[in-house]
Amino acid sequence: MNSILKINNLTKHYGKIKAVENLSLEVQEGNVYGILGPNGSGKTTTLGMILDVVKPTSGEYSWLNAGSKSQSRKKIGAILETPAFYPYLSAVRNLKIVAKIKENGAENIEPVLKQVGLFDRKDDAFKTYSLGMKQRLSIAAALLADPPVLILDEPTNGLDPQGIAEIRELIKNIASQGKTILFASHILDEVQKVCTHFTVLKSGKKVYDGNVEEVMNQNKKIEVASENLEELKSIVSGFGDLESLENESGKLIIKLMNGSDSIDLHKYLIDKGIVLSHLSERKSSLEQKFLNILKESDD
Amino acid sequence: MIRIFEIEWLKLKNYRVFWVLFALYFLGLTIVCSSGMFLMEFLKSKGADLNGVDPTILPLYDFPDVWQNVTYVATFFKLFLAFIVIISVTNEISYRTLRQNVIDGLSKKEFLISKLALIVSLSSLATIFLFLQGLIMGLIYSKVGGLKYIFSSLEFFPAYFLEVCTFLSLAFLLSILIKKSGFVIVLLFMYTLIFEPFVVVNMEHNPHIPNTMDWIIPYLPIKSLNNLIRVPFPKYVLMRIQDYVALVDILIVAAWLFIYNYLVLVIMQKRNV
Ligand SMILES: Nc1ncnc2c1ncn2[C@@H]1O[C@H](COP(=O)(O)OP(=O)(O)OP(=O)(O)O)[C@@H](O)[C@H]1O
Ligand SMILES: [Mg+2]
Repeated sequence: MNSILKINNLTKHYGKIKAVENLSLEVQEGNVYGILGPNGSGKTTTLGMILDVVKPTSGEYSWLNAGSKSQSRKKIGAILETPAFYPYLSAVRNLKIVAKIKENGAENIEPVLKQVGLFDRKDDAFKTYSLGMKQRLSIAAALLADPPVLILDEPTNGLDPQGIAEIRELIKNIASQGKTILFASHILDEVQKVCTHFTVLKSGKKVYDGNVEEVMNQNKKIEVASENLEELKSIVSGFGDLESLENESGKLIIKLMNGSDSIDLHKYLIDKGIVLSHLSERKSSLEQKFLNILKESDD
Repeated sequence: MIRIFEIEWLKLKNYRVFWVLFALYFLGLTIVCSSGMFLMEFLKSKGADLNGVDPTILPLYDFPDVWQNVTYVATFFKLFLAFIVIISVTNEISYRTLRQNVIDGLSKKEFLISKLALIVSLSSLATIFLFLQGLIMGLIYSKVGGLKYIFSSLEFFPAYFLEVCTFLSLAFLLSILIKKSGFVIVLLFMYTLIFEPFVVVNMEHNPHIPNTMDWIIPYLPIKSLNNLIRVPFPKYVLMRIQDYVALVDILIVAAWLFIYNYLVLVIMQKRNV
């Protein structure tokens, strides 16, 4: 796999505020990269720097898909925070400007407007749009030149549930075409569903960087229950590969060490003569992992 | 280059405010340029006499004097064109479209060039329009004819073009610096019409201010522009005037033109957009 973006010790200070601190990151072609972090953690600032609209205090980045920086931005579809268009121009006319800037995509204007569900309003001025419609137009603009790289800063902001579902499908769809996506979002469920990798920022620093699938499996938990929970608990406590054990609303939540799985546990319980009324695997959510990462980074 | 020009055109061609200001400029200019004779009639009816001369016989539109007269009068209308530049640039900042343009792949230099394209286009149109205006009035009223006279003293047009370009570049710089159209318009107005003239008058005539600093006057931003095309009218009361464009004045203005645009580039490269 080839790297498409390399970020090296990127730093941005606004006066005393350290918006981004020594961030290094490498994104491979075809990755769907989630950028997570609490409000004010530096996600937008980071994306702003790699799009050349925020001047870094120090550090550098490079796009490896084209020569000059403006040339590589033409091959990126990007949404950064709020939609920005000429309010007195219609969707079509706004997109014509985008196509002219990108030197590509003029023939895609109608298809992308259909794709984001704005076709009926394509000739109305941007200023007459609702928030969600404006956001849809941003997405249309990002898709216009059919770019190999997408940067989406909270793309579902302001969208209705149907719109959110559509965008999620869209992202998955685009990702399946082997395109690279950088995706900042607070909706962790969404990141979990579409991302291959994620990175967590906190107060401008990278506190985690990893593969979504691995994290999900790493933190797999097992739920069990039986008639007599206390007895079950004491027996499970005797299981060799046990990492942790919690009691949660009539069930035991068990985490096993790497290498052993629910089948091993079940065999052990059968040997002990336990009859379970419930057994299921619970993949941990990205949300839990995310909260854990933030908590751990406090220490 | 053509692409950048087209981008700017796409932004403006459906923008009503732009066309209104543009129309106001041409309307104002047409009225003022064509009303010289009516003005003189009016003065006469009020009993004005200029050192015993009947104002209506003044050859305001005679070739080639008409060129200096119209280019001088048109000076005041460049403020309308400056509005267009100010609104076009500050809009890009307040709509955050400058930022979006850069995100989409326009370099900051290209953005600068796109606004320069606007400035040069406005200045060219203004110059051509003014030439046609002068030509028509001259053909109607001039007592002097013949290509030899019509096509002399035309250097006032390149001078006018340079003047407008430079003034609009100043408006561009202030817009990038201050970002808010209202502030920029007020500041540019105050500086152009009140502040600098006031300073100049004081330096020249206030007995309490020593004259050792007077050499600086021709280099001031607005004074240098006004020096390109000098007041032509005193010649009608038989005073000496400068009826040509001086090379040194051109050089000073050209230097400002360069400085303004260079500063815009430096500021844009340094700043977050
Ligand atoms: N123009 C600016 N001037 C001063 N401080 C700024 C500016 N832009 C951002 N900051 C600060 O930089 C930090 C990071 O902001 P940033 O917008 O990158 O956060 P974020 O992770 O995108 O947050 P959110 O989840 O709310 O979108 C914040 O503390 C913010 O206050
Ligand atoms: Mg943000």
